[in-house]
Amino acid sequence: MLGNLNIRVMLEYLPDIWHGFLATLMLSAAGFAGAIVLGIVACALSIQPLRWLKWPAVAYVDAIRATPLLAQLYFLYFGLPRLGVLVPEMVIGVIALSLNSGAYVAEIIRSGILSIQRGQVEAGMSTGLTYLQRMRLIVLPQALRPTVSPLIGQAIVLVKDSSLLSLISVVELTRAGQMIAIDRFMPIEGLVSTALAYLVLYYLLKLMAGLWVHQNRLPGRA
Amino acid sequence: MIEFSNLNKWFGALHVLSDINLSVAKGEVVVVCGPSGSGKSTLIRCVNGLEPFQKGGLIVDGTELGGSEARLRDLRMEVGFVFQQFNLYPHKTALENVTLAPIHVRKLSKVDAEERGRALLAKVGLGDKMGNYPHQLSGGQQQRVAIARSLAMQPKIMLFDEPTSALDPEMINEVLDVMVSLAREGMTMMVVTHEMGFARKVADRVIFMDRGAIVEMASPETFFTAPKNDRTRDFLSKVLQH
Ligand SMILES: Nc1ncnc2c1ncn2[C@@H]1O[C@H](COP(=O)(O)OP(=O)(O)O)[C@@H](O)[C@H]1O
Ligand SMILES: [Mg+2]
Repeated sequence: MLGNLNIRVMLEYLPDIWHGFLATLMLSAAGFAGAIVLGIVACALSIQPLRWLKWPAVAYVDAIRATPLLAQLYFLYFGLPRLGVLVPEMVIGVIALSLNSGAYVAEIIRSGILSIQRGQVEAGMSTGLTYLQRMRLIVLPQALRPTVSPLIGQAIVLVKDSSLLSLISVVELTRAGQMIAIDRFMPIEGLVSTALAYLVLYYLLKLMAGLWVHQNRLPGRA
Repeated sequence: MIEFSNLNKWFGALHVLSDINLSVAKGEVVVVCGPSGSGKSTLIRCVNGLEPFQKGGLIVDGTELGGSEARLRDLRMEVGFVFQQFNLYPHKTALENVTLAPIHVRKLSKVDAEERGRALLAKVGLGDKMGNYPHQLSGGQQQRVAIARSLAMQPKIMLFDEPTSALDPEMINEVLDVMVSLAREGMTMMVVTHEMGFARKVADRVIFMDRGAIVEMASPETFFTAPKNDRTRDFLSKVLQH
């Protein structure tokens, strides 16, 4: 099946795949940036003690984790215009990706913070550091290390999830691959081109993770 | 300096501290001992507000505990705490561990804080380890850094919760030596420990706790030679064997 791939057609559509690749890269980057911001806010709210600030964050995380991304996407796609919010599909797509990933990012950061031993916080308290100082100087720097790997994992999931945006007619990688299928009746050529491009994105992210780990080794530790 | 009056504390249904009455004067060194689970840690953790209590009163350095978080923070600046497990910040060097609170709480300049930090690390015998991270130090060295970290805030009171229990035997003395010199300089100290040699050397009073209550309180001579309570005698026979 792959032996008789029509390489000529694949090359012919390379510019379209390239544009799809760039679009997926941008959508994912924007989506993930939004997810990090949402995740930090949701996590901060969920670990602080005031109940009326805590419950919206918990409800958000639960609602997102309990429902499929496709449903969330359609909900925004049909729901936002009803609220009078008229924005391009692409923006809806980024919002959906941010909202969805943000809930998972919140959980990742939260478990990083909870992995820090109580004694660290008590040591900070005992020398008079405020709550925010303890978070900023003691807890967060230590929580960052165990969260980097799962965060990169979440970014990889987000890149693949962004293919769903093709369903609300955002032109990205998956959509670009479908063009080959539709124009030339060559679905396999389209899918293989798309898959290779996703693979490149995957390795880019893995490379970044590797570089971060290498650069942030604990001094004196292998 | 420290004044417990009829202090009571519960963890749920567990009565961990019952009717604690104790006053520690400025410059006094009080050693607290007793079986595991008798409430020693909880007692000294009350002194810097790490544990809240439900009944009775506690006044430390003129501050009534149980007040606002801000007052508590002011108090903690004056009360050092040394933990059994050291609790050094693993992502900071020895010197950074020591200068963190002076810079961020006392608002010292980095230069001044480092000068103070270097002097303290030299004093606890770690002048050559300032740039080391905690995992590059032995247990005894880590605990000495932890003591220097507390002292860097120039506290009026130092609390120690079994500071040598997590250490290999050959490292115990290097930590006790630092504590002895601190006591001789006139620091007000409450020390939970089973190191009876330390108690003999510098304690003004020794307290024996059992099941959340202070069972015996005496000068070291009386405490070791003529304990009044059976449970104290029983306990002493166990710890003094080795
Ligand atoms: N956070 C806590 N929650 C519930 N029970 C606790 C807690 N901390 C300590 N205890 C209990 O309180 C009692 C006294 O503990 P502790 O003060 O640590 O004793 P010690 O330091 O003398 O060994 C023990 O029975 C212990 O299990
Ligand atoms: Mg204890």
